[in-house]
Amino acid sequence: MSPFKEFIKGFYEQNPVFRLALGLCPTLAVSNSIENAIGMGLAATFVLVCSNVIVSLIRKGVPAKIRIPIYIVVIATFVTVVDLSMAAFRPTLHKSLGIFVPLIVVNCIILGRAEAFAGKNNLFRSFIDGLGMGLGFTFALIILGFVRELLGDGKLMGYPIMGPKFEPVLIFILPPGAFLTLGLLLGLFNWLDTKLKKE
Amino acid sequence: MKDILKLGGILLLVTVVASAVLAFVNKETKPRILEQARLEKEQALTEALPMADKNAIVLHPDGYYVGYEDTTQQEVVGYALSAFGKGYSSEIETLVGIDTSGVVCGIKILSQTETPGLGTKIVEKRYGETSPWFQQQFINKSYNQLYLKKDKPTGTIDAITGATISSVAVTSSVQQAVESVVTQLKLGKDNH
Repeated sequence: MSPFKEFIKGFYEQNPVFRLALGLCPTLAVSNSIENAIGMGLAATFVLVCSNVIVSLIRKGVPAKIRIPIYIVVIATFVTVVDLSMAAFRPTLHKSLGIFVPLIVVNCIILGRAEAFAGKNNLFRSFIDGLGMGLGFTFALIILGFVRELLGDGKLMGYPIMGPKFEPVLIFILPPGAFLTLGLLLGLFNWLDTKLKKE
Repeated sequence: MKDILKLGGILLLVTVVASAVLAFVNKETKPRILEQARLEKEQALTEALPMADKNAIVLHPDGYYVGYEDTTQQEVVGYALSAFGKGYSSEIETLVGIDTSGVVCGIKILSQTETPGLGTKIVEKRYGETSPWFQQQFINKSYNQLYLKKDKPTGTIDAITGATISSVAVTSSVQQAVESVVTQLKLGKDNH
């Protein structure tokens, strides 16, 4: 696969949320507004790229039997380093990302890509894969965040675009609404896929 | 047996390296993080007691802050203290400032990790405004007005739809804190 294809697959063909169904917990939890979606997406992308790089670098020295605990230690260490560094050197950013940073540890996409890709591919490809998957995840979160914030809060990026008379459909910013939106979008992507395959 | 030793050894190596990295980063970032927290507390105190001189807010041995008009510390203009409430998914710390008649003059939520998009509305600013609307409701109120409207007839605080627990945590912790200081220091002439 060409490097470009490797990168772009994370957006549609192998979108971590809509295709691989990975990282659904944080997806449902923080897609209730576009701002949250962007924050979580970018933070997760950063960790994903870095963990892919490290895992790829050490892949030759890691025995297959203990690769999972080793990957987990790498990922958790990374997230903690990012969290501490941000708290010390970028306190305003750290405050706005807040709970999202520790949440990245439970994001299955990171461990999933370490195991499925970075553990078996060279540094450059692992980097590209991490970047593409991370941004694809961000893209999925933004779509969900757009729908949920617009319908459930009447706003986009905090701006009350629906006007003062709009009565928000509260369920959309709550977990059941997240499930509904995700399910409908999954269906949409599947339908799109069958349409494209026909041509 | 040799296999287990080898695998155990590699795991040990990985965890030792990880611990060393974490210990190093922790040591390097700790002073800055503590300094940030101190600066934030200082900033929050000036917001809670806007009428006090920012260099004249002193911690009283009983655990609350006293705000003076100037650094000579002769005239008290207000008091501030932290209120802690059990939120939905975190302990919410709120710094509340009152003037000498027991009326709230400043409020700031210092820490919380409530549900993003719902409980976090307690710190959310409406488009174009400078301070969170939920907290603004507390300004210029005396302690018996610091209840949710639905809980007491004298209450004046609107809860956040879908975030009752977060709303209650802030409201009741602030109410209790203000009432305790007002009664303890016998503030205000007719605080009913």
